[in-house]
Amino acid sequence: MENLFKTIFTGSKQALKAAEDVVKKAIEEKGKDHNVSFPDTAYSLPVIYAATGNKIKTLGELEAALDVVRGLIEEEMKLEKALNGGLATAVSAEIIEAVKYANEEAPYSEPCTGFIPDPVIRSLGVPLVTGDIPGIAVVLGECPDSETAGKIVKDYQSKGLLTFLVGKVIDQATEAGVKMGLDFRVIPVGYDITSVIHVVSVAIRAGLIFGNVEPGKFDKHMEYTKERVPAFVNAFGPLSELVVSCGAGAIALGFPVITDQEVPEVPTLLITQKDYDKFVPTSLEARGIKIKITELPIPVAFAPAFEGERIRKDD
Amino acid sequence: MSEKTISLDLTTEKLYKKAKEEKIETVWDRKKIMKAPCGFGEKGICCRLCSMGPCRISPVKGKGAQKGICGATADVIVARNFARMVAGGAAAHSDHGRDIVHTLYMADKDGNYKVKDEEKLRKIANELEIQTENRDIYDVAREVAEMLLNEFGKPFGTLEFIERAPESRKKIWKELNIEPRAIDREIATIMHSTHMGCTGDAESLINMSMRTALSDGWGGSMIGTDISDVLFGTPVPRETEANLGVLKDNMVNIVLHGHEPTLSEMIVLAAEDPELVELAKSVGAEGINLVGMCCTANEVTMRHGVKIAGNFLQQELAVLTGAVEAVIVDVQCIMPSLVTLSECFHTKFITTSPKARIKGATHLEFEEENALESAKNIVREAIENYKNRQREKVFIPQEKNHATVGYSVESIKNQLTRVMNSNVDNSNPIKPLADCITSGVLRGAAGIVGCNNPKVKQDYGHIEMIKKLIANDVIVVTTGCSAQAAAKAGLMSKDARKLAGEGLRRVCELVDIPPVLHMGSCVDISRILNLVSDVSKYLNVDISKLPVVGAAPEWMSEKAVSIGTYVVSTGIDTWLGVVPPVTGSEEVVDILTNRMEDMVGAKFYIEQDPIKAAEQMLQRIEEKREKLGI
Repeated sequence: MENLFKTIFTGSKQALKAAEDVVKKAIEEKGKDHNVSFPDTAYSLPVIYAATGNKIKTLGELEAALDVVRGLIEEEMKLEKALNGGLATAVSAEIIEAVKYANEEAPYSEPCTGFIPDPVIRSLGVPLVTGDIPGIAVVLGECPDSETAGKIVKDYQSKGLLTFLVGKVIDQATEAGVKMGLDFRVIPVGYDITSVIHVVSVAIRAGLIFGNVEPGKFDKHMEYTKERVPAFVNAFGPLSELVVSCGAGAIALGFPVITDQEVPEVPTLLITQKDYDKFVPTSLEARGIKIKITELPIPVAFAPAFEGERIRKDD
Repeated sequence: MSEKTISLDLTTEKLYKKAKEEKIETVWDRKKIMKAPCGFGEKGICCRLCSMGPCRISPVKGKGAQKGICGATADVIVARNFARMVAGGAAAHSDHGRDIVHTLYMADKDGNYKVKDEEKLRKIANELEIQTENRDIYDVAREVAEMLLNEFGKPFGTLEFIERAPESRKKIWKELNIEPRAIDREIATIMHSTHMGCTGDAESLINMSMRTALSDGWGGSMIGTDISDVLFGTPVPRETEANLGVLKDNMVNIVLHGHEPTLSEMIVLAAEDPELVELAKSVGAEGINLVGMCCTANEVTMRHGVKIAGNFLQQELAVLTGAVEAVIVDVQCIMPSLVTLSECFHTKFITTSPKARIKGATHLEFEEENALESAKNIVREAIENYKNRQREKVFIPQEKNHATVGYSVESIKNQLTRVMNSNVDNSNPIKPLADCITSGVLRGAAGIVGCNNPKVKQDYGHIEMIKKLIANDVIVVTTGCSAQAAAKAGLMSKDARKLAGEGLRRVCELVDIPPVLHMGSCVDISRILNLVSDVSKYLNVDISKLPVVGAAPEWMSEKAVSIGTYVVSTGIDTWLGVVPPVTGSEEVVDILTNRMEDMVGAKFYIEQDPIKAAEQMLQRIEEKREKLGI
């Protein structure tokens, strides 16, 4: 057996170390006053903004934000401390990603989106409220094969869910012929695990934009995401301490994690499902998502996700 | 002890004050009159097992008498006295169990006693390899009853229900030669071996005590619980209220006190009888208000939601309210002082069992063959006494609290299915509990049981220990007077989740339970054994490896000694809040608090401060987690 909380703390400390390193290096190269920002957002670094109420503008301020992470890591064997450890990892991830944007004009390129700008979130607001998008699936890691990845992602797609992909699963889904893009409700985010923060930042900004939750009141943000953002995480393949720690962050926001790996399970929150055919129903049940569609017996997938589809000549 | 602090319970404080004012004697007064207890008895070094004595051993080594007249050392005397306490406790539970099985034997589809939980009976029958298919359920019942009655005195083999324990545990018992054989035999063996000139070895006596105690936990008590469920229904969650505030000014108040549900179940039925309700109205009352006390209260509250008047130290106080028409008792933990106390009021103190006659009480023998009629006669006696109530003497403290009770192993498992994902393997409903523990969301589980004892502030030990444990994400299960203390303090209300740590609070919300689970009466501690065994089997680690602890913060009776001993023998560390009479022997203390760990993987801890004890329990839980790597 393994000590779940210890694994989480180990991941949190690894994330902190990585964040400290990249910030230090960036400051050495660019100086403390170098500008830090994500594109097209009014919320600076959204997770840190929601947690502290502070807008980070420079690398120097980003360095100070590392204290937020340190404050969240208290290695006591208690659920709330473990969840805080997860949030610490989320903040570290945002710091690492912010440095990417500070270092490069466009750190992400096709097919990955990286940071998701405010207008996209605003456009998702209405279908989320109406239930047209019944849930948000965050699929990360690596499936045993592309076929499985494709099957699962297409299943979410056909049910109208919005799916974010992080890690090797992006390539697997591509290989399986999954159509991607906002119109198709499948968004490849990035290959690094830290890029999952761009999904978290969507959830957090939902609270800031639609929920009118005050920045700095992180408890209220967690309440909002738990109650109002119907997201869940599917984590495939071997789980590093860092991934487990990220998972704890998801759980802190109220998002259950379903994995194909052996982990110390937590009822309703951290679930092992080894049968890939049952992955989708397990996830939907865990997040309490009920799909309101009647499945039509037609040979092709049918869902709002295909509304914006363009049929090219070759197809 | 300062008079202001006899109890954590306000009703106790108020009624104790009333008793003082009216110069009515209570248990606390008798405790005071007793002055300092005899040092020899307190240390367990006084022996009166033959007429060469009484002998007493000097508590100072090398000074004064070091041996009894027969040559028995302090170690032997202390161990013999301890063993006899275990035998007394095991005998009480066993006779209780025996009566219940007798009732099952009498059960009949047209009779007063019926099989209420057929499924549980079938399950037990299967365990005992008794054929159930295509058979009349009452034939099955009789065969099960006969087989279980044999458990008390069968000549060969070991007890059937020890098979429920995990293999690792059975192996430990076998190697130590403490697998219980027949229940009465183990009790008789202790009485034999503690006779003058028999066993002269402390370790051997403690070993025997373990075997006898196991015949209680995995025998008498387990049989009592299981068959009570078969006859009267397996408890399911239900709402109730607790504390003396449940007594009603304008109703016929009947206090049910004692232990065996054979009586109390019929009284519950009788109290609902329209004819008797009518009779109550005809004497000017609004109805019949049946309330429970001690383990009988636990039995009827678990199965019917009957309100809990109070725990052990409140039995006199209930009468002191002046509002009780009758205290109906059967056996065990009934203070004989209720005779003189009742004489100060109109209250009728009614004994019903030939096993517990009390001089001066009204004895209305409860006839099991004619159970309902017999119960009705007893209730009628109470109703007719309503007119004698002296209004000017009535004082009912208004304190009471809400509680959700009824957590049998079956209902706990049923609650746990709420958090199971229907797409994942659902074959074992114990999985969510095991998962919460292995993941660390719950740090562990604690069984808090036992009595009240006027040596300590009433309920303080129970409540402070429970609060500390739940605040640290340890789920608490309780039985007996400890459960009632928790119910009175509001810890069994779902609202008490706010007192729990984040992990336990979340579990309680998801599973929809209070942080402290009422698992029943003292025989129902066998439910805890079953639950822990299930977790142990599911995780495939011995019970002694699990982050599970037990405590009896305010224990008093010999039954508690037997319980503590079988809990430790089952592999669960047990904290005692009252020092047992063993301190006169270094060896016995060493066995109980040290060497037992090498034998059964668990030991006794003696700690009078409940908060310190809780800290030790938490520490021990973390040690066990560390060893398991969780």
